[in-house]
Amino acid sequence: MLSGLLLIPLLGALILAIWPGDPAPERIRRSGAAVLALQLLWSIRVLVSFDPSAGGMQLEESVPWLGSLGLHYRLGIDGLSLPLVLINGALCLVAVLATEAGILRPRLFFSLILLISGAVNGAFLAQNLLLFFLFYELELVPLWLLIAIWGGNGRARAATKFLLFTAVSGGLILAGFLGLTLATGSADFSLRAISSDDLGLGVQLALLGALLVGFAIKIPLFPFHTWLPDAHTEASTPVSVLLAGVLLKLGTYGLLRFCFGLLPEAWALCAPWLAGWAAVSVLFGSLAAIQQQDMKRMVAYSSVGHMGYVLLAAAAATPVSLLGAEFQMISHGLISALLFLLVGAVYKVTGSRDLRELRGLLNPERGLPLVGSLMIIGVMASAGIPGMSGFMAEFLVFRGSLIAFPWQTLLCMVGSGLTAVYFLLLVNRAFFGRLGATVQLAAIPLQRHLPALALTVAILAIGLFPQGLGLLSETTSTAMAEPSGVLR
Amino acid sequence: MVSSLPLSVQLAWLIPLYGFAGVGMSLPWACGWIRRTGPRPAAYMNVLVTLVAFLHGTALLNAVLQHGAYEISLGWFQAADLKLELSFDLSLTNLACLELVAGLSLLAQVFALGYLDKEWSLARFFALVGFFEAAMAGVVLSSSLFLTYFLLEMLTLSTYLLVGFWYGQPLVVTAARDAFLTKRVGDVLLLMGVVALSAFAGVMRFEDLYRWVPQAQLSPLAANLLGLALIAGPLGKCAQFPMHLWLDEAMEGPNPASILRNSVVVTCGALVLLRLMPILQLSPISLDVLIVLGSLTAIGGSLAALAQVDIKRALSYTTSAAMGLVFIAIAEQQPAIALLLLFAHAVAKALLFMSVGSVIATTNCQDLSELGGLARCMPATTVAFLVGAAGSTALAPLGCFWAYGLDVEAMARSSPALAMVVLLANTLTLINFSRVFRCVFLGPRQTKTRRAPEVNWQMALPMVSLTVLVLLTPLIMVKIDPVPGLASFPPQVAWALVASGATGLILGGTVPLYKGWSRSTLKPLRQLQDLLAFDFYTERIYRRTVVALVATLARLAAWFDRQVVNGLVEQLASLSMASAAGLKLTVGGQMQTYVLTAMASIVVLLGSLSWVMR
Repeated sequence: MLSGLLLIPLLGALILAIWPGDPAPERIRRSGAAVLALQLLWSIRVLVSFDPSAGGMQLEESVPWLGSLGLHYRLGIDGLSLPLVLINGALCLVAVLATEAGILRPRLFFSLILLISGAVNGAFLAQNLLLFFLFYELELVPLWLLIAIWGGNGRARAATKFLLFTAVSGGLILAGFLGLTLATGSADFSLRAISSDDLGLGVQLALLGALLVGFAIKIPLFPFHTWLPDAHTEASTPVSVLLAGVLLKLGTYGLLRFCFGLLPEAWALCAPWLAGWAAVSVLFGSLAAIQQQDMKRMVAYSSVGHMGYVLLAAAAATPVSLLGAEFQMISHGLISALLFLLVGAVYKVTGSRDLRELRGLLNPERGLPLVGSLMIIGVMASAGIPGMSGFMAEFLVFRGSLIAFPWQTLLCMVGSGLTAVYFLLLVNRAFFGRLGATVQLAAIPLQRHLPALALTVAILAIGLFPQGLGLLSETTSTAMAEPSGVLR
Repeated sequence: MVSSLPLSVQLAWLIPLYGFAGVGMSLPWACGWIRRTGPRPAAYMNVLVTLVAFLHGTALLNAVLQHGAYEISLGWFQAADLKLELSFDLSLTNLACLELVAGLSLLAQVFALGYLDKEWSLARFFALVGFFEAAMAGVVLSSSLFLTYFLLEMLTLSTYLLVGFWYGQPLVVTAARDAFLTKRVGDVLLLMGVVALSAFAGVMRFEDLYRWVPQAQLSPLAANLLGLALIAGPLGKCAQFPMHLWLDEAMEGPNPASILRNSVVVTCGALVLLRLMPILQLSPISLDVLIVLGSLTAIGGSLAALAQVDIKRALSYTTSAAMGLVFIAIAEQQPAIALLLLFAHAVAKALLFMSVGSVIATTNCQDLSELGGLARCMPATTVAFLVGAAGSTALAPLGCFWAYGLDVEAMARSSPALAMVVLLANTLTLINFSRVFRCVFLGPRQTKTRRAPEVNWQMALPMVSLTVLVLLTPLIMVKIDPVPGLASFPPQVAWALVASGATGLILGGTVPLYKGWSRSTLKPLRQLQDLLAFDFYTERIYRRTVVALVATLARLAAWFDRQVVNGLVEQLASLSMASAAGLKLTVGGQMQTYVLTAMASIVVLLGSLSWVMR
């Protein structure tokens, strides 16, 4: 069943790419959306078959592949990966729906998005280190192309920067995986076959270091984050949605699954420092966001801040904090996707994202009142106002981490307060105030807002009824938090 | 839930939802989907829903009077050792507060129908008020700290949106920002306290927390930090020093929202503090801080009010001052007196703001120096102002007189200095009210007050009704607090109160209001005036300290990011960029070929590998 989550988008991408003739762009877009809708339905089918009360991997599939290399095609899903698979399906669909009809080279564009979607699913489901690595790398090339072809003026530079950073990240992760397998003497790269219990602490720390930096680049955490603002600024709106909503989660997923999951002893040793790193990353991201004048850069820096909470939660490694990490990944995916959609809408209509130029967009007659209202909801959700998903995620993270790391947690909470500062600047400058007397912005038809509205509903739904997501992940996060039961 | 409970109790969970229902019903108008009817249907529906909430509250009150208090609790979230419930305590006090919230909200909404008569965004206003009311109704009934925090934050959000209602004006934008950020500072500190309590005690219901307190094992530092964090939220909500700035600026928002903000919103903040009081026993320092800040705000706020020329700001500072007195009473462990003070203050202050709203609606002016002579043409408004002013200060025989009497007596027993603070604040507030009354209602008419008819019935009706209610407050208070009796304080206290009130009236009534004095030519006097008018330069101090600190740190972070982190990366990258330049892979047109090549080579590689390895 899980292979469907890979086959649907990958086959879709292939068919879309080689379909004969010259179909109209809108038709290609619809076909892409249809494939992704099918993928989303399929992941809902997986959700239905998933038993949230059972621990461990479920619905496993295994096909021997390269036995001598230790590479097997083995998939499985648990409470950590299932929500991420769901949000991947949802956000890829949102990205396609939010793509402009007249996009350049639609066939390539939508094929690449489908490719990314399949690769990301593969990475979340892979139960073999090498298989994970393959999917992790597979997603890079399409994303690089998406930035390099459809980006803004500085796209070549931003894309190259992205590629270099993530190549280093991939190299480190591969080195970590190889080292881990060799050191443990495991015959293959299966997740379940590897146990670091007998490894010396020095070896463990070295491996953890490599994996940590590798995933920290992807998340990204300070000081490995500088590719992200550039990539976001140059990427088109749907690509930003994917990047922030889905691809960054590969980093946090790797952090939880491989760094914390495979090297628990070294992890526990480093945990106070990791929590401190999280606090620095949160504060740095938030403070740097205050200074930004480009709305996209501001949202990008807020990602740096908000992803720090996941590191804090992982460092604390209590059942509640790990559940909070899951909530934060999902919540940040939804909220940042919404914010990028809205910033994209503003950019399309006004041609600017500069907070020094934009004014009064909330104007009910001549401005963008719906974009403004959704933006207020989005930034409030990001700032952790209750009733929206961000609050629940932050509450769980802080509640789970406070006793383990009181000062680091309190500093992260200060960062949560700073979120309100920069996002209030954004709303106050761009949306409040008086719109120029002669400005008449083109109205956006309601159906173009449907993706943003759907995300808003999801943010409110998780914020008001968090128990569903909680049930889905609780067993896994509780099992992960137990020293002996890590991910087995 | 047992089915033998009265229907009103079974449906009690609906109470906070009424307001939200109002929000939902207003959306089609607020979003502009329905334009043909104009925005009024949304307003009427909100008024109706609030009326239903009020009636439901009355039914609940009756049920509780007959059968005693109820508690309802709904499981909301449970994971690992964390259990969060939405629980409501239907006690007599809470329901009385609910009635106060719903009743004043109802009156303010009817008032708003008249006040915002020609406002285009009327539906948006009522939707926001519905949100506001829902959050307040929840806060007063909540019996769980988690739920209280949840709703307080919603209150912060709706305050931001209500203050920013006229977001086209620059002053409104800064006022909304300051309101949100000041409260947010308090809220984040409160969140730290809530999270810490949840982690340490493992429970969130107030009753469970009270049981936990005696056996809590916290280091003195942790206990004191916890106490300080917990009081920060109410300090911000009640606009206490040093987080008082927002209330004064919030006066840029529409007046009907100011009515609620100055009466029931601050009351909600104080009620939260009241619920936290048993937990604050853990930290004696936090109680001392409450007393110091409460006294500072009571005196400082009353003084700053004296120098304001804006009619709404002149009153809003007295709200902070009154809340300061409530904080002192709470810190001195006098919950019953605090409740009486809150009730008497809330109704009277709401009335004062209605009266001021009428003045502003009629004259389109809120500058004291441009008003005058309104007493002759606006009788209902004048009476409302007099009754509201008397009701919110210790002028016999209205509500606050009795509450202040009990308060002064209790303070005199524990620490006489605090009794003096109460008396002094009372004198200063009365000086201010007499000054405002003379400026607005007496004296010659001015350009803006020449044609000033009494307000329309939508505004007059709630105003007159509330006037009657304020006149009846002593009777209601007797019912609320039969023991030890409203007049149980000794005659000396009563005389002291009368003397402080009379001093205020005489000073306020005789101080020259000659216009040339509005900014004195005498340097020391002018400096004093400026000090008070600019609220002890609090804003400037903030700008030079907190704001400057955050801004500097932000600049530093951005600089570090650009120069150091990114600089290093660029240096490293320039090497590889130089070598990559020869490849020129990013030339458009070759892209598809490149992808195909890349993908094909991956496939070939994997395929050949698997063939070889077999």
